Amino acid sequence: MASVYCESAVIKAQELRNKNKAELVKTLDEAKQELASLRVQKVAGASSAKLQEIGEARRNIARILTVINQTQREQLRLFYQKKKYTPLDLRVKKTRAMRRALTPFERSLKTLKQHKKEQAFPQRKYAVKA
Amino acid sequence: MFSLAANKAQAAKKAALKGVHSKTVRKVRTNTSFRTPKTLKLARVPKYTRKSVPHLPRMDQYRVVRQPLNTESSMKKIEDHNTLTFLVDVKANKNQIKQAVKKLYDVDAVKINTLIRPNGTKKAYVRLTADADALDIANRIGFI
Repeated sequence: MASVYCESAVIKAQELRNKNKAELVKTLDEAKQELASLRVQKVAGASSAKLQEIGEARRNIARILTVINQTQREQLRLFYQKKKYTPLDLRVKKTRAMRRALTPFERSLKTLKQHKKEQAFPQRKYAVKA
Repeated sequence: MFSLAANKAQAAKKAALKGVHSKTVRKVRTNTSFRTPKTLKLARVPKYTRKSVPHLPRMDQYRVVRQPLNTESSMKKIEDHNTLTFLVDVKANKNQIKQAVKKLYDVDAVKINTLIRPNGTKKAYVRLTADADALDIANRIGFI
């Protein structure tokens, strides 16, 4: 339950991952407020150090959002592991064609005729005696 | 007794085989055109949600209001007309701006006028209620 009292610094992702959802949303809100106040200070005339902090603040917000979304999707994947139907954005993406291609099992299927042929006349290997 | 039961049974069999033929009743149609009849419409029961998790609100107050303006003309507006000027997201509408200003600075707006500047950003003139002083609010926000 660590609260961020030193806001104008770089928030570490490690610390964020220890927090739960409610705390993360709260931290996100605080980070956005920080960014908003920095923008106001820029309008009121600010030193170059403050201008750098704007970039840091934006990246902090991105970091928090990344952690939120990552942990959310991880949990959802666990939840849907045993289920038959999963949401579309949790399914394999690849490409449209690859998703519709034959599965490896389907490709390996042979007709009975071919199977018998292969059994009766397998590819022989020959060697020349040196 | 036996014959009665047998008769009954035979009658029942005959009726069952023949079926019930009532007189066919034709509906009276008072209109010349045949309109599609209303059928049962079932509600959707999806087997899975299409998106795993709904998105966080995209147009929150921090996205709507970008920065306040402290140009000469905006300062004049603060003193004379009790209005604050903001640069605002282009996709924001007046209602969203009103809500955002209320959430961020805890002030009510009487009316909002917006325009899109020639450089593509949106400017919003937010007139505050009489009980709120624009100069006070501006000092509180910190951009004077």
